[in-house]
Amino acid sequence: MKKLRLSPLLFRRIHKWVGLILGLQFLLWALSGSVMALLDKDKVGGHGGGMSHSHPLPGGAYASLAALPRGEPVTGVVLRDLGARPVYEVHSAKGTRLVDATTGEDIRVDQDMARDVAAMMNEAPVRKISVIARPNLESRDFEGAMWRIDFADAENSSAYVSLDTARFLVMRGDTWRTWDFFWMLHNMDYLNRKSFNHPLIILVGFGALWLSGTGFYLLFKSFGRADFRWLRRRRPVAVRRMT
Amino acid sequence: MAIRWPLVVRRTHKWLALVVGVQALLWTLTGFYMVAVHIDIIHGDHLVQSPVARPFDLGGVVAPSEVVAAVPGVSEIRLQRLLGRPVWRAETPDGPRLFDAATAAPLPALTEAQIREAARHIYTGDGRIVSARLLTRAPQEMQSRKPPYWQVEFEGWNRPTLYLSPATGELISRRHALWRVFDFAWMLHIMDYDERTDVNNPLLRVATWSAFAMALTGAWLLIWSFPRRKRKKA
Repeated sequence: MKKLRLSPLLFRRIHKWVGLILGLQFLLWALSGSVMALLDKDKVGGHGGGMSHSHPLPGGAYASLAALPRGEPVTGVVLRDLGARPVYEVHSAKGTRLVDATTGEDIRVDQDMARDVAAMMNEAPVRKISVIARPNLESRDFEGAMWRIDFADAENSSAYVSLDTARFLVMRGDTWRTWDFFWMLHNMDYLNRKSFNHPLIILVGFGALWLSGTGFYLLFKSFGRADFRWLRRRRPVAVRRMT
Repeated sequence: MAIRWPLVVRRTHKWLALVVGVQALLWTLTGFYMVAVHIDIIHGDHLVQSPVARPFDLGGVVAPSEVVAAVPGVSEIRLQRLLGRPVWRAETPDGPRLFDAATAAPLPALTEAQIREAARHIYTGDGRIVSARLLTRAPQEMQSRKPPYWQVEFEGWNRPTLYLSPATGELISRRHALWRVFDFAWMLHIMDYDERTDVNNPLLRVATWSAFAMALTGAWLLIWSFPRRKRKKA
């Protein structure tokens, strides 16, 4: 076997072979990057913010705090407004309970309540309401069971509302769904679409460094004076006119 | 005249690469940094204690109505701890405020000594506090958050910095060298050199589609790049 020499030919070979093996992913990175840059980030949405409107808490007496524990140690209490009625959110090792802060009765977050919470974020008519036991791909940034409220609007929006706390979680529309598909192609986490720190992408990313590195080097070897003749040809014409 | 496709495609690939070559190099370099260093490390999860859920003695806590009466317009109140002592945290139109959970007395903004104590409480490292400053203008690394906040910097190669709320002593954010490198890499990756947030800027759109065309012509070139050897019979 011949000895390897650091020649343009060697770099051209590396470029060719890495291109053959990882070229498709490089193409997909360029394509998904292009599409994500094209999709309006405000329409994609879903990046934090947009908390639900909160009314001021009413004055007057509230149900006693001492009655909140049901045998379990309470690790946190939140008094908040839920559609013009105050509620306690009671946190414990067992999870979160919702208690009516006026009567002290437990609250179940039912379909109507979920619809009301979602309606504060979207005025379109509701198409369908369903409950999901665990987060789906669209609500993967959150935990626990939740209501899904589908709206009849141009974006086919779906709102997610927590089953435990009745808090609005997130709104997803078709622009986000398109974005998310291309984000999956970009981050190569084809199952959960969430992680961009897995071994596969690190490996392919390392390979792509060779593709772009050798390609950049070859730029200097691929252009000769002849390639820029078209730039120079014009100049004498201009000079002649001036004299 | 017949079009000589290999030549046309090669020229296109070459010239596109001349235009976006530097950026393609930057994309792969910054991309590799972002995938190689885990996002949890970038976020600085290892710098701060995860909050421990400790039970409250609700018998000793004043009724929430007293806090609601004290701050009109309050939209949410929350029972939490400040340096181990139970407090009500009220979310008001002017930002959060604290009340003593045992007496409902409003608590003044934290002093520098209290902020330093709270920061040391949260921080997982052993390093000393290098500086603690109350900022009224957002530094570059906190552009998305509204001041004022305390900036508490610890010693260490990665310059760990915690940002705490002056009213509640809560951790607002944490920064360190790897985060700052990531932020710079992200800026180069999305080509928004001012705000580092606009992923829809025209420059990026032109560059990404050019890179796509470059990759496409590159893939096309592969057809002619591996010539089959014709074996001559001896």
